[in-house]
Amino acid sequence: MSRHNQRSTKTATWWSAALVLGGIAAAMTPAILLAASGSGGGFDEVVRGIESRYHVHANKIPFLGLISLVAAHATHGGVHSVHVAEIEHMEGPVDGAELNALVAEHVGPGWQRIVRDTNRSGDEQSLIYVKPQGSRLGMLVVDLDHKEMDVVEVSINPDKLSDEISEHRHSREDNDDRTAQDDSE
Amino acid sequence: MKRAMVWASMLALGVGISTVAARAQDELPPPSPIEKTLAERAEHVTEVTLDKNMLAFAGKFMNKDKDDDKDEKEAKEMIQGLRGVYVRDYEFDKDNEYSAEELEGLRKYITTSDWSPMVHERTKGAKEGTDVYLKMINGQVQGLFVLDAEPRELSLVLILGPIDMDKIGALSGNFGIPKQAVKDVKKAQKEAGK
Repeated sequence: MSRHNQRSTKTATWWSAALVLGGIAAAMTPAILLAASGSGGGFDEVVRGIESRYHVHANKIPFLGLISLVAAHATHGGVHSVHVAEIEHMEGPVDGAELNALVAEHVGPGWQRIVRDTNRSGDEQSLIYVKPQGSRLGMLVVDLDHKEMDVVEVSINPDKLSDEISEHRHSREDNDDRTAQDDSE
Repeated sequence: MKRAMVWASMLALGVGISTVAARAQDELPPPSPIEKTLAERAEHVTEVTLDKNMLAFAGKFMNKDKDDDKDEKEAKEMIQGLRGVYVRDYEFDKDNEYSAEELEGLRKYITTSDWSPMVHERTKGAKEGTDVYLKMINGQVQGLFVLDAEPRELSLVLILGPIDMDKIGALSGNFGIPKQAVKDVKKAQKEAGK
């Protein structure tokens, strides 16, 4: 075999190896990203932790991506990234301290618990976590009401949401004024 | 030379300790062991913990329409300037679920040397009553602690940061602060003014 042929065979082998490695990396990327996002905590990790501990299945709300888009549009960016999981048929009382520890373990770094409401019978538990995200605020709520548990995560822009609320308040007040005026006439 | 180094080390240690102490005074305390035992006995527990960053965010949610109102604006600025709000509320299903020693333990845990009692209201022979403490630094109110003990309910409210006592009403019912706690403070202010 000539030196030129040897070199081209070697180059082809390197290309094949690079392609195989590239293929493996491409195939593994979603798994790596999923694992990385899982370790970051937040909504998915908390839901998975609850499912695993209480042997329950969380129902995700259909078309939530669309609902999230509509919410973002309707509030002019005040609320977006809405995630909701509903768990029905929670069997038996839930120990408040255990649920608190479970959520704290899975929620991940940066989240801070601001409210905890618990009762001894274990059928009503609420936990509210928040996480500053630049100008936005992430909010995660875990709420148990007897046999039903809801986990909700939203991202809020306080300024935009406040403007939106203010605008609605004004329009409602205007309507009330108009109604009062019509009534007096 | 050696002696100078020892002095320098001691000075550095002193500065370090005082910095840590000042920092500790600025931050919300970790829950006391008494709170844990109270929570175990309570039928219903509510806990609210807001640090400086959260309060700055919370201030943004307050009514923007009233920003033109000077008092409202000042109240909002006061809230955004607070360093922490810590509320614990324990509801019991029967009377006498907490002891006088536990109340005293809670008082001692929160109130260090900077705190001065403003009101200590007790009915003779009963554990129930209200305590209001103020944290005074250079003549400025830098903290407020209310311990309200009812037969079946115990509430702790700790607010850290500069507080304008005339604007204290803005906190009522916000951030988990019971309206009763603010009423107690206002009553104490009136009593102190007499």
